[in-house]
Amino acid sequence: MAPTLVSAAVGALLAAALLGRAFDRRAVAVVVAAALLPGLDAAASLVVPGATNALLHAVWVPLLAGGLLYWDTALRPASVLRGRFGHRGARIAWVALASYAVAGIGAALFAGEGASLLYPLEDARYVVRGRLVFSTREGVVQTFLVSGAEGGGALPLRSVGGAVADPVASWVNPDGRPGLDASGAREFRFVEAGWQLVVVAAAVATLAVRFRLRRRDGEVTR
Amino acid sequence: MPSTIVHAGFALLLAAALLRDSLDRRALAVLLVVLVLPEADSFLGAVMPGAHRTVGHNFVFPAVAALALCVDTRIRERSWVRERLSPRWIAVAWVALFVHVFAHISLDWTHLDGVNAFWPLRDRFFQLAGEAFYSTADGFVQTFVDVRVDPETGTRTVDAGAGGTSESVHVNNPVQPRDPDLDVEEPVDRRFPVANAGWRLYLIGLGLFALGARRLQGDGVADGD
Repeated sequence: MAPTLVSAAVGALLAAALLGRAFDRRAVAVVVAAALLPGLDAAASLVVPGATNALLHAVWVPLLAGGLLYWDTALRPASVLRGRFGHRGARIAWVALASYAVAGIGAALFAGEGASLLYPLEDARYVVRGRLVFSTREGVVQTFLVSGAEGGGALPLRSVGGAVADPVASWVNPDGRPGLDASGAREFRFVEAGWQLVVVAAAVATLAVRFRLRRRDGEVTR
Repeated sequence: MPSTIVHAGFALLLAAALLRDSLDRRALAVLLVVLVLPEADSFLGAVMPGAHRTVGHNFVFPAVAALALCVDTRIRERSWVRERLSPRWIAVAWVALFVHVFAHISLDWTHLDGVNAFWPLRDRFFQLAGEAFYSTADGFVQTFVDVRVDPETGTRTVDAGAGGTSESVHVNNPVQPRDPDLDVEEPVDRRFPVANAGWRLYLIGLGLFALGARRLQGDGVADGD
């Protein structure tokens, strides 16, 4: 998985950007938790072979949750979610879903060890790696999307091994295979590159600014 | 440089996160200008060696600007800025400074030779690179700032990724695709990168997603005040 801290930071930035009037400490906590939720499949890998970056990183959970959310908030005459939590609740639910997909799965896909998007139908773990350059000598050079034969999976993306064959190591499960191994050395990665540190710092600064503004506005209205 | 599009993508996300009600086209246009303007130091490269990543890419100018803005709007009795700009545009000015530091300079700081962080006070390029993790074998490890203690003399040297000076460092860019000091008999290939890695595409995508979602939500994105 991409470093947990990076998913949390992107989730926090999405929360600040999209929550609008629902922005408060609890709502931010919910959205950040949603960003971290896909990472829990590392714990499932102790029982299910190859579950890391697969079980909760597949497209099915967000598709199902999105479908249910749309049905409840837009199609039904009376929404259960709105009835219990109001408009605020519906908004937080949508932003949390976005955070799950974009900050949780997206970070693994674009910046981490990849995500098995079609698990369990297909075993391939996809990553988005490559470059998109305009060169005066070679024209447009694009290597993010590859043809099916090169990629090794059904989607036109690069794949790096299979979920079961090459399991992803994590701090929960250092060798990625089922069974608890107490002796293995564990590593919890905070940030893996300079840009990730920048994203984390930017998220912390953004939240600090937003909470300060909110407190000041609260004092004015009181 | 990570391309301007990557800077713009991350800046868009940060702007959406910071501006609650004033994310309209005019504010975004101002932010875009602030993002692109520092790259003009590429063109200074013809006159001043090593100007790219030096003149427009340091933490000194934004710090001075922030201090000036703070003193003028908070401490002075009659604010020069407040007489000319509405509170909304002062907020946009603060956000512009924020995205300049985080989305532009900090990202460039992590790339190639980094940025000339303290220019014009001190002429030294700094690069931010490394990782940080906790392992059960080694404990907490970080490699961003290297602190070494000489075992014999006991002196401490701190290496925060310092590199050359504007004399010795040339950061390639589309205006000056290679170091003018090098003489290569090859036709020039000017490369304008959009995204040279998955994570750069990710930052672009995040910005577009944030903007698109804000539009979909139907509040906060409107034209005019």
